[in-house]
Amino acid sequence: MAYQFEFAPVFEHVDLLLAGAGFTLALTAVGAVLGIGLGIIGAICRAWKLKPFDWLFGIYVEVIRNTPFLVQLFFIFFGLPSLGIRMTEWHAAVLAMVINLGAYSTEIIRAGIQATPRGQIEAAQSLALSRAQIFRHVVLRPALAKVWPALTSQVIIVMLGSAVCSQIATEELTFAANFIQSRNFRAFETYFVTTAMYFLMALLIRQLLIQIGHRFVTGRAR
Amino acid sequence: MQSTRRPFLRSLCGLVAGIAVAGVIGTSTAHADVLASVQKAGTLRVAVPQDFPPFGSVGTDLKPRGYDIDMANLIGKELGVKVELIPVTSTNRIPYLTTGKADLVISSLGKNPEREAVIDFSDAYAPFFNGVFGPEDGAVSKVEDLDGKTVGVTRGSVEDLELTKIASPKVTIKRFEDNNATISAYLTGQVQFVATGNVVAAAVNDMTKLRRLGSKFLIKNSPCYVATAKGESALMGKVNAIIAKAKQDGTLNEIAQRWLNAPLPKDL
Amino acid sequence: MFVQFTTWDIVRNLLEGGKWTLLLSLIAFVLGGAVGLAILFARIAKNRLLQAFAKGYIEVFQGTPLLMQLFIVFFGLSLLGVDVSPWVAAAFGLTLFTSAYLAEIWRGCVESVPKGQWEASSSLALSYMQQMRHVILPQALRIAIAPTVGFSVQVVKGTAVTSIIGFAELTKTGSMLANATFAPFLVFGLVAAGYFALCYPLSLYAKSLERKFHVAR
Repeated sequence: MAYQFEFAPVFEHVDLLLAGAGFTLALTAVGAVLGIGLGIIGAICRAWKLKPFDWLFGIYVEVIRNTPFLVQLFFIFFGLPSLGIRMTEWHAAVLAMVINLGAYSTEIIRAGIQATPRGQIEAAQSLALSRAQIFRHVVLRPALAKVWPALTSQVIIVMLGSAVCSQIATEELTFAANFIQSRNFRAFETYFVTTAMYFLMALLIRQLLIQIGHRFVTGRAR
Repeated sequence: MQSTRRPFLRSLCGLVAGIAVAGVIGTSTAHADVLASVQKAGTLRVAVPQDFPPFGSVGTDLKPRGYDIDMANLIGKELGVKVELIPVTSTNRIPYLTTGKADLVISSLGKNPEREAVIDFSDAYAPFFNGVFGPEDGAVSKVEDLDGKTVGVTRGSVEDLELTKIASPKVTIKRFEDNNATISAYLTGQVQFVATGNVVAAAVNDMTKLRRLGSKFLIKNSPCYVATAKGESALMGKVNAIIAKAKQDGTLNEIAQRWLNAPLPKDL
Repeated sequence: MFVQFTTWDIVRNLLEGGKWTLLLSLIAFVLGGAVGLAILFARIAKNRLLQAFAKGYIEVFQGTPLLMQLFIVFFGLSLLGVDVSPWVAAAFGLTLFTSAYLAEIWRGCVESVPKGQWEASSSLALSYMQQMRHVILPQALRIAIAPTVGFSVQVVKGTAVTSIIGFAELTKTGSMLANATFAPFLVFGLVAAGYFALCYPLSLYAKSLERKFHVAR
């Protein structure tokens, strides 16, 4: 019996796929904002050697960067309840994404901060800028501008990686695909369409982050 | 580090090219008669569960064992071929058949019209009742009582399909990839109830005292069938003959006694 | 009827799974490197068509989840009449994934060779292939070592995703054990430790290579 490719049974469930894609984007957005926020804090602790936070962040970065996201997710969702820490699959997914992106962006942003010559900070101090002003304009902004492309790539990697969140029943895009596939048994067609959707989402996020970068980070030269 | 400039159109071209390639390879090869190829190869590839006690679970060597595995070995013995066990999950066992990765699925598989449209079923070989299970103090005795509660279920299982039909939208159904995850989610308290098989719940209760699975209500009597790809009548004929013989000579009853601690129901 | 797992049973099985993780990583890295090299040459070739192909290849594999790539390989190839076991599908999928990332990393390295080197070598009347072989690639290679070792960590971690198509490597073994032993905290803790033991030395090595490279410059 020859296999007939049929995409129609997949498109019958296009509403589920779109809802799933929406959730993936929402997960990514929350994960990116909080993750980069965590990364900024971590980077400062690391770059300025604020004891004991610098080595705490050092351990955190190494542990997260050297273990798979899927295992982190399983550990949070199935492992932590043994310690009485219980959360929904959404919280577990967001937490895993924030922790993961936080570790990578700590390292990425730290490299950016360290690339800013100390002399610039001294110069800013001599101009009597406040600490907050110095931090914002002399330290953070140039650092983020330098590493923005790397951060953009990392956010996309985290978005694509979120596909495995379906394993703990988080109802994102891959979950929708698996759900449809378990109803219409069109595994290949379903995954093919889903893959194309991820691809478009990756392009979309890249463009969006490039625009955000121009608008808020690298642009408006001072 | 990658460049920030990525021409959007170029990327789209890549995607279109990918789809075109997939379209070209869309013409597929025809399947031969599975029974003939099984006999020629001397091996029968059977998809079995490894996370669904007592039908299939793993021993300390992580090899599957259980009712379905005994059934697979029985069919292999009668056909005079070696059996290759392929551990599958509830979600992917049917794609294993439709994409030709397995010759038979013996994975406590229940029958329904959606499935009958894509695969063929043998006569029943094992009894199976699925229902909702939960803590002893959970006051639930019918599906309406589940409103506002969270129920874990394995995606694509009969329990999933049936519960989805009968439960009101107020029930939160969490669908997990495999039974491992479903049971773990219940035992770790991530869901309040689970829908699964009665014997599965009994087996899990035997294995752990972590959180008891008390029977709440039954969803459906859904015996298990052996499945083949669509139109494999030669193989199906053999399988049915083997099941009939095993029912008659008591072999199947022995398997039921061993794994379910109960004789095979007369009406199966 | 049911068996009790001792801690040694857990560790023993995880080690067995870890063996497959290691083997799969090695295969993916070696094959991915070979394919990646071919893609790299296409990417920096003068031929526009080759360039576009390589660019599309990299875009697609960097722009879609590894899990989806594995699903498509796993369920797609068998529709073409090629019977793939989870093992073959895992190796194949990871090879594609690895090759795309390595090609892109290496392209960056080739492009970071100063333009003057191209100009100087072409003034010596070297052909394109000769320029590549004697001038550009040796320099690019030196730049490439650290990020390549760094990326190997991503390959090892990527193998975890193959558990979802049923390949019994470290993560899959872990989730089977977590269910059989009902001790997910211990089991996933050990699984994480296993990956850390594989990846951390690679990370350290990549870092020291990077440092050495910067000193040498």
